[in-house]
Amino acid sequence: MEGIYAIWQRDLLKFFRDKARLFGSFTMPILFLLIFGGGLSGTMESMMGSMAGAGEGFNYVEFVFPGIVAMTLLMTSIFSSLSIIEDKDFGYMKEILVSPISRVSIAVGKMLGAATVATIQGIILFLLIPLLGLSYSIVSLLQVLPFMFLFAAALSGLGLLIASLIRSTQGFQMIVQVLVMPMIFLSGALFPINNMPAWMDIIVKLNPVTYGVDVMKKIMIDVDSLSPQVQNAMGLNLDVFGRPVTMIEEILFIAGFAALLVLLATFSFRRANA
Amino acid sequence: MEPIISVRGLTKTYKQTTAVNNIDFDVDQGEIFGFLGPNGAGKSTTINMICTMLAPTSGSITINGWNAAKQRGKVRESIGLIFQENTLDEKLTARENLMLHCRFYRVPKSRRAARIREVLEIVDLTDKENQRVDTFSGGMKRRLEIARGLLHYPKVLFLDEPTVGLDPQTRAHLWEYILRLKKKENITMFLTTHYLDEAEISDRVAIMDQGEIIAIDTPDALKRQLGGDIIELSSTDNEAARREVEAAVPEAEITVDDGILRIKVADSDKFVSTILKSLDTPVTSLNIRRPTLNDVFLAFTGRKISEAAED
Ligand SMILES: Nc1ncnc2c1ncn2[C@@H]1O[C@H](COP(=O)(O)OP(=O)(O)OP(=O)(O)O)[C@@H](O)[C@H]1O
Ligand SMILES: [Mg+2]
Repeated sequence: MEGIYAIWQRDLLKFFRDKARLFGSFTMPILFLLIFGGGLSGTMESMMGSMAGAGEGFNYVEFVFPGIVAMTLLMTSIFSSLSIIEDKDFGYMKEILVSPISRVSIAVGKMLGAATVATIQGIILFLLIPLLGLSYSIVSLLQVLPFMFLFAAALSGLGLLIASLIRSTQGFQMIVQVLVMPMIFLSGALFPINNMPAWMDIIVKLNPVTYGVDVMKKIMIDVDSLSPQVQNAMGLNLDVFGRPVTMIEEILFIAGFAALLVLLATFSFRRANA
Repeated sequence: MEPIISVRGLTKTYKQTTAVNNIDFDVDQGEIFGFLGPNGAGKSTTINMICTMLAPTSGSITINGWNAAKQRGKVRESIGLIFQENTLDEKLTARENLMLHCRFYRVPKSRRAARIREVLEIVDLTDKENQRVDTFSGGMKRRLEIARGLLHYPKVLFLDEPTVGLDPQTRAHLWEYILRLKKKENITMFLTTHYLDEAEISDRVAIMDQGEIIAIDTPDALKRQLGGDIIELSSTDNEAARREVEAAVPEAEITVDDGILRIKVADSDKFVSTILKSLDTPVTSLNIRRPTLNDVFLAFTGRKISEAAED
């Protein structure tokens, strides 16, 4: 336990110390919020609204904000896991590996560290809520926190798994391009996933991020106050190949996905560093 | 007393190279054991295998009574390691680096502060404890690594080229620290270096070349094995001088190297006057010395360590 704590604590210490990284990591979500939330929201709203016959009630910024928080969780979790490659390159991993901490504790500590850092980043984004004129309830924000951590843990597992298979920073960057970007764009984070071509719909439904994003939207957005048309326009009535899914099922799915990835990542890290 | 490290038939083969070739040796409790050899001799590979960081191709290693292949956790608790390359977290302060190490090695909470103070004192870094490591000089980083290696009171401290890349003054200082430590804690030290003068502080040295241990003994015994002293002289015509010395002292071993005539004799006091009298060729310089480990290396491998390092 002490070992897990030490590994976790180091990642947090470094996160708060590295001001450049701390602020740098907000440029992307803020840029997205500006472009999608500010610049494009009118276009998006009239497009989405009229398409579904939802009329006025479609608030795009309200729709996209949880998606951008989810995107931040995804990026931060995965990039934080990259730190094990960095630790190798800068030699520190040797100090960790030659110590009596078990390989399992190292992997778990790293994943918890990445997930914590990602969750904190997400929480910091909440500060923008009043600036954007949004009004999610405090209760819903508190409710979404544990889920954010769970979701981040799953993604940190994915990151650690990739990092222990790839081992080079360049390789990791490439994986991020071909995996992370599509995972964001094909998840419903930035625009509703209605009326997709069939092949794309399959990818969207196979993408775990889709369900993470959906849960966050369902918790944060006051769904009941929206007309059924707007709910539809926002893509909140998600069905998987014809079968509607409930939020509980989605949460269970993400929990299972997290457990699987944490196991795989731990196993793979142990194998790579016998 | 049981040896603290016991290595039998240790071998490591990479695809084409045999980095370590069937070596055996023991290290006694409390001794400074020097591991010498040119670049690529297999020193780091051997250390990494003893420290459980690398799986041997074959052979067995026992350390502090534990089997390095089967009881890795126990071995890791018993050792401290100063790696050849820097393994500090430079974004953190000295103190934070040490604190993490205490956690990694489960140093009891109540003892951490005292231990950190103690090791920082040994390496004279007390006033720098809250400074970030990336502001440290190379020598300070090295000292901090040594301090860190000691935090958990290891039974054996491994130092893989602890002074590489440091200026001579810092190197001398560092050795002072290491010796101070040895006196204070009576830890066993296993060190590698290719500066032969540094190896002189070892109680015993093993000379490694191309994956094999070619000699192992106390520095004095190794030098004695060479027998006698070395007279180095240069003259206006080294070849002529050589013939003259050979005629006068047939039992002397003579080599010519870099314009220097190196004459090995059993006892320089006895032979130096004979040699000088026998020379008609004018002598330009003369130096009489006891053999060094460099001469030992030369005798065992036919090369000087610096030459061996170049191929
Ligand atoms: N991972 C590896 N793959 C292939 N060959 C290796 C590997 N690691 C080391 N070697 C080879 O094994 C031999 C011994 O290397 P080692 O690092 O143990 O030498 P060393 O004595 O520590 O040298 P130095 O003084 O340069 O540190 C070298 O020929 C090296 O090229
Ligand atoms: Mg080496």
